Amino acid sequence: MGLKENLASEPVRRLNLRPAVIVPPDATVRDGVIAMRNAHLGCVVIAGDDHKPIGMFTEGILRQLLAHDPAALDAPIGDRAAHKFPWVSLDDPIQTVLDAMQANNTRFICVVDADGRVCALTGQKGLMEYVAEHFPRQVMVQRVGSPYARQREGA
Amino acid sequence: MNEPKKSGLPEDNFQDPLEDYEPPEYADPVERALGEERVASMRITPYASVGPDTPIGDAIRQMADMHHACLLVSENDRLVGIFTDREIVDQVALEYDDVVERPIRDVMTTDPVYVHGEDTLAAAMCVMAVSGFRHVPVLSEDGRIDGIVSPQRVSEYLHGKTGVL
Repeated sequence: MGLKENLASEPVRRLNLRPAVIVPPDATVRDGVIAMRNAHLGCVVIAGDDHKPIGMFTEGILRQLLAHDPAALDAPIGDRAAHKFPWVSLDDPIQTVLDAMQANNTRFICVVDADGRVCALTGQKGLMEYVAEHFPRQVMVQRVGSPYARQREGA
Repeated sequence: MNEPKKSGLPEDNFQDPLEDYEPPEYADPVERALGEERVASMRITPYASVGPDTPIGDAIRQMADMHHACLLVSENDRLVGIFTDREIVDQVALEYDDVVERPIRDVMTTDPVYVHGEDTLAAAMCVMAVSGFRHVPVLSEDGRIDGIVSPQRVSEYLHGKTGVL
């Protein structure tokens, strides 16, 4: 099958999902940034002990904070996170990730399990890797001599 | 009567350089579009650029005001680096007071991966997948900045092609 049909028929669990980093809402923004650095991620999910997501703090929010209110680094991250954020289930078609990215103008999508608990992250990186699987020749060209680490998730 | 030989070479010595070439096969129109359409056919502008001596604080405020996740850093019309939300997380946020007045050249990613407008979209997306860079500058053949491929533009393009929403 081709890319279009695969996007519509294959489930989100088929993507190369990344472990989500969960921080409690009373952690500071600074704690969240440290967690993002350590995990090489551009966002953390805000959740309580039940791991049900209540917010998402992204590098885009961090940028706006530093530009306008750098003292907010020591504020509770739950107060600064986005509480309206996109999420998909493991069994949703991959197309829903693309739809959610487009509709929300974001590149991070929270993945939840059947009980609504955070179980992974996906988004632009996972989607690009999925698209790239359909173009193995191009991937081969890129891999030869690439100086960049596979875990890089930046720039 | 003998037929004239096209190349002027003896036929036994002629080796077709394309004899092993296998044209790409595409499973559907989306794959074909990605495999054949060029980066320049997608939205690659606007983009924002600053000089390498721009203070980090100014650069972040500029990004925030424009809601851009990436600044290209150029000098004499040449791309010398890229500064993105990733650099803010990794090198700026926790050290903000100490670095806010420093020049962006101190924290930018130098020698960023780039593509040309004539590269295929599939090539650009594979660059993103393999290198991990989300923002990929588009340069002309003579090295000038033409634009940038961003995550939003890729998802916008793919969404337009798949059209399921």
